[in-house]
Amino acid sequence: MKEYIRIIVFVTILGTLTSALLVGMDLLTAERIKALAAFQVQSTVLNAYGITNFSTENVNQVFDENIETIEINDLVFFVDSSSGAVSFEFVGNGVWGPIEGVLTLESDFTTIRSIAILQQEETPGLGGVIEEPAYLAKYEGAQIAPSIRILRNANPDDPNEVDAITGGTRTSERFEIILNEAYSVHRAAWDERMRD
Amino acid sequence: MKLIRLKYTKWYNISKDGLSKNNPIVVAVLGICSALAITNKVDNAIAMGIGVTFVIMASSATVSLIRRFIPSKVRMVTYMVIISSFVIAFQMFIDAFFPAIAAALGPYLGLIITNCIVMGRAEAFAVKNPVRYTLVDGFANGLGYMYVIVSISAVRELLAFGTILNYQILPDSFPTWTVMAIAPGGFFVLGLFIWLIRDVTKNYEFS
Repeated sequence: MKEYIRIIVFVTILGTLTSALLVGMDLLTAERIKALAAFQVQSTVLNAYGITNFSTENVNQVFDENIETIEINDLVFFVDSSSGAVSFEFVGNGVWGPIEGVLTLESDFTTIRSIAILQQEETPGLGGVIEEPAYLAKYEGAQIAPSIRILRNANPDDPNEVDAITGGTRTSERFEIILNEAYSVHRAAWDERMRD
Repeated sequence: MKLIRLKYTKWYNISKDGLSKNNPIVVAVLGICSALAITNKVDNAIAMGIGVTFVIMASSATVSLIRRFIPSKVRMVTYMVIISSFVIAFQMFIDAFFPAIAAALGPYLGLIITNCIVMGRAEAFAVKNPVRYTLVDGFANGLGYMYVIVSISAVRELLAFGTILNYQILPDSFPTWTVMAIAPGGFFVLGLFIWLIRDVTKNYEFS
């Protein structure tokens, strides 16, 4: 009996101390992590419009000067004041974990201006190629409407087709689904706003 | 003369155990899952090696510090709780202050929890030894793990991408071996590496 009481006391103390360590660590870092995530989104959007003269201190100001943030049905759109191009975030399931990124479309809402990946957990060296700018450059100028197809041996004359990742077939399949789903959802909301 | 005396010091023997005689990967064959998963790029292997070394040292030192109070029935759970706490704290720290490294490591940082070397050192060494020796032991085992995965990843990255640390080494005309970038390639290289090291160190197992 005495032994069990000792175990319970030990486990309680251990649990309290380790939880305290983690709560303390969270208090120390949570705000920084949140700020870094917001900075990542803002800097990605700004980079998509070729605006690079900002730092962590003045990013909010530069962002507000150049980008108009529009919220429609809980979906957030970032519109470039000068060109009318539109960016929005997308997220979906990749092979090993979520793929998050920012899709930027020209003002016609169908031509892809750029894609940037914020977070992915694909196989390094295979599906992980998805975040490399050299691969994402293939999407520039492609048409996402009515839908985009990511294929092996894509036809370079067809604006709806983009090359898949060599050795990353399943990542490419998932990415196609993520892009098309994000596009149709955002397109519906965008069209609704245009009608109003 | 000094060298001979060195051979009888405890910390020298502990280091030798971790680095070669009882190397966690080559001899004990522990931590294989991470050794296969992250060894297709050298930079991932280095970052993982540093992370694992830190976690082994920190968790072993803690286990050693409270070794007289741990009830033997719940000791495994205790190790697990301590290791997970350190890994999560380390992950939060890296996320907040070194976002570039966190992005490069991706999910592997959290997977240090599942590395059996950390638990193995806590049970085999830390719970029976004073803190200063557990630090030496943790460091030696971490380095022993690190140099093996870095060597494996150098072979794999060179054959799979023609690069080392993302610098082009082989000419573009070299036909890259995709198999080296995926898990089977890891098995081949790891198996050959264990064979080589065991043959060189004359470490044979007889049944």
